[in-house]
Amino acid sequence: MTRLNQHSSLLLFLSFWLTSASDVHAQQTLVQRESARVETIGRISPSVVCVMAPNGEGGGSGVLISADGFAISNFHVTSGSGSFMKCGLDNSKLYDAVIVGIDPTGDVALIQLQGRTDFSAAQPGDSDQVRVGDEVMALGNPFLLASDFTPTVTYGIVSGVRRYQYPANTFLEYTDCIQIDASINPGNSGGPLFDIQGRWIGINGRASFEKRGRVNSGAAYAISVNQVQLFIEHLKCGLIVDHGVPEFTVETVEGEVVVSQVSELSEAWRRGLRARAQIVSFAGRLVSSANDFQNVLGIYPEGTRLPLTWRDKEGVHSATIRLRPLHDFQKAPELPEERKPKDEKHPETPDDQKQKFEAPEELPKELTRLFVERDGFCNYHFNEVQQSKLLDPMRARIGAKGDPKNVWQISLASSGSETKEAKTPPIPLTGELTIGPTAAGLKLDGVPYLQNAENPVAAEEPAQLPGLLTAVLQLRKLLSGEKAAFNEQLAMGQTLHLPLQQQVRILVTREGARTSRWYFTSESPFPVGVDVEYGQGIDETRLVFENWQESENAVFPGRIGIVAGVQEQLIWLTMGEVKVKQ
Amino acid sequence: MTSVLRRNVAILQVLVGVVLVLTSPTATLMAQMPSPTHLEVVALRQPVIVKLFGASAGSLDSYGTGILVSKEGHVLTVWNHLVSTGFLTAVTADGKRFPVDTIGTSAEHDAALLKLKTEPGETFPFVDLAQATDPEVGASVYAFSNMFRVAAGNEPVSVVHGVIAARVPLEATQGRWKFPVKSPIWLIDAITNNSGAAGGLLTDAAGMPVGLIGREIRHASSRTWVNYAVPLTMLKPVVDAIMAGKKVDQKPKDATADVAMISDKDLTAKYGLTMVPNVVERTPAFVDDVAKDSLSGKSGLQRGDLIVLVEDAVITSITDFQQQLATFRTGQRVSLTINRDDELKAIELRVP
Repeated sequence: MTRLNQHSSLLLFLSFWLTSASDVHAQQTLVQRESARVETIGRISPSVVCVMAPNGEGGGSGVLISADGFAISNFHVTSGSGSFMKCGLDNSKLYDAVIVGIDPTGDVALIQLQGRTDFSAAQPGDSDQVRVGDEVMALGNPFLLASDFTPTVTYGIVSGVRRYQYPANTFLEYTDCIQIDASINPGNSGGPLFDIQGRWIGINGRASFEKRGRVNSGAAYAISVNQVQLFIEHLKCGLIVDHGVPEFTVETVEGEVVVSQVSELSEAWRRGLRARAQIVSFAGRLVSSANDFQNVLGIYPEGTRLPLTWRDKEGVHSATIRLRPLHDFQKAPELPEERKPKDEKHPETPDDQKQKFEAPEELPKELTRLFVERDGFCNYHFNEVQQSKLLDPMRARIGAKGDPKNVWQISLASSGSETKEAKTPPIPLTGELTIGPTAAGLKLDGVPYLQNAENPVAAEEPAQLPGLLTAVLQLRKLLSGEKAAFNEQLAMGQTLHLPLQQQVRILVTREGARTSRWYFTSESPFPVGVDVEYGQGIDETRLVFENWQESENAVFPGRIGIVAGVQEQLIWLTMGEVKVKQ
Repeated sequence: MTSVLRRNVAILQVLVGVVLVLTSPTATLMAQMPSPTHLEVVALRQPVIVKLFGASAGSLDSYGTGILVSKEGHVLTVWNHLVSTGFLTAVTADGKRFPVDTIGTSAEHDAALLKLKTEPGETFPFVDLAQATDPEVGASVYAFSNMFRVAAGNEPVSVVHGVIAARVPLEATQGRWKFPVKSPIWLIDAITNNSGAAGGLLTDAAGMPVGLIGREIRHASSRTWVNYAVPLTMLKPVVDAIMAGKKVDQKPKDATADVAMISDKDLTAKYGLTMVPNVVERTPAFVDDVAKDSLSGKSGLQRGDLIVLVEDAVITSITDFQQQLATFRTGQRVSLTINRDDELKAIELRVP
């Protein structure tokens, strides 16, 4: 009997051990996972912003992206607040903030919190790497629950990637977005979506609602961080950033993207794209449906140049095309009634949860000076800041050398064109370029060309180097170093330069019908290239600059490359020393 | 000594038996093999889901979801208006579109088995219902469906996560329609009560098939939207029977005995409507005759019309139609959806 007892207790112990072995393992994993999650939430919470109108009304969310207080939110959150807002962080403190830039189509807004230079910023991840089933956390301010601004955390999984959500009755279009099942409710809008490691992967902004009203339905959508990143530098320029159109339309036909119509004024048409061609890839991404195509298109700002590959009866072709403006907003557009942020508050939220503030005090000068109203801009102050960043270093280097009254004479020689694949047989060219205040002349292998600065005529350009004279006249203006050299100038964000394959900052100048995009990098005060646009239906002149030379009385590139032909080969010109005639 | 040892062995056997009983076959399998990652589960199960597109009727959506349950293209879904109104098209995960035949239905299980009209020899990835498992309450689950029609063409369907909340009998309604399944079903805490989700697949964390995601219905007493799935272990014999050509769609006779219905006589006298002779158990609700100046005549009903919906309720037989009509009071407006020459039409009547 005793023996039996001994044995049974041993067996009981054994059976306990047997059943609990796997549980212990699971529990450890669970405990570890929980503590990792708690640690992550503690780390990312300081980057989460509660965005409110100056009187404390309304309420949405946002996320800090840099130590100097720049934060991303939804356009439909900030649009109700006016130019200034109050922002609460998880330290329970309130900060003043100013609107910087908006992307109404993408439903993105950039604001800047004031008062600190050590804000805690979210670390962006790569949203293209997000997979269905991945765990995610949404942080924000649903129902304005936290009066101390501690963000509410909801957890879920990724339900779908690369989703396309039509601009239903509005211009707010969600392309290439991340679908999640984490609870998203009124007030979550504009807040960050994080992966389980705490990397910022999206902005929660939209959900499929139906019979439950505007509360969580298990299907919410986050704007991908990769799309937001493509717009951040544009937004920092205080712009109303637009999305683009390719000037042709596509449809899905049996798993292929087929062109239905092409505008005859479009760049795509001039590169040879016609109806019934099959789009193979766009911006480097293979596409197999019209939604795929729209998903690629929707993540780029207007004006971006993108590679396009298509197939037709003759074979496979590639070219690059520039996106034309989609809406061309001159002012921030009005949101339809049902998207206005005052509705963000859940109707059942008791009023005692509401933040009470005194009537908005007179805003301090150091705040109001951060906002400058101007047509076509969200906040012109920030454009001036960015223009200075681009132009001041160059102006300082030019000094008096750029005097526009001076005539510059430069010899040029070309050894032919080269493509990535092969060098074409050299076509030696030699010439003498003369640039004056009102005209530019070129003697090319003995043949003279003369182009006037005021109203350039395409016929006056040398056929071998089309657009060169008009473009160097623009360059001469830029290099005058004068502040008002052009009718209009603005900083325009950042893009990947083609064909240089380099991130560049953009300065746009306008004069007459000519719009020039100047590209700058941090390595040099002088531009690395310019694209001169003449209007719809005409090819741009695209130049790249190398080996800038500074002499006593002039600055000029030592090498100029002209992007030419469908293959976009570069015709390189070696420039001689600038001779200055005063 | 020997007897003690024997007794101990017996106890050991009992204990091992208990352990084995507590551990489902899947779990035993999981203990031996590394459990699949969430990415593997998604990759395995997304391709077995089809998007269904049909006719919308009243407030009901024109889209839904189905699960491929055979290599040859059999699709299991909820027997809702999409199936009964016909005109169904299925889109497989690769974006291919197929017309669909209804092979069989079971009102009792609220399930329908469809078959894609395929080229000879065409095969599909599918869920093997023999693997259907009944997880513990509290187990993690994934729900695959085309809710809100988020995915178009070849885009993968949506996946949401949750846990099994309970296994209980469900009393729920959708308008005037009552949820017919009497055995316990899965309640889940994931939101699956969404447009187009019905007919989707519920799996456990390892991707094993668990349930057929149900309709957008409300609990009969609390009126809350219920997120539920019908256990696939329950549906497997139904699917097997339909595939074997057996008739499964039989309501227990006493279940309908005390339900009020408009008599043939009243239908003709008050509505001016005569249905085709109700000869078999589920005679489709075809109109045989309409008196010219009667209520039905004025409303536009015609001989040959097939009544497919009364408001949002699917009409599966003449008896069904007579019962549904009896739930309306004098003076109420009733919307009928009819199939005339393969086109759906809406017709409105005021109850006399």
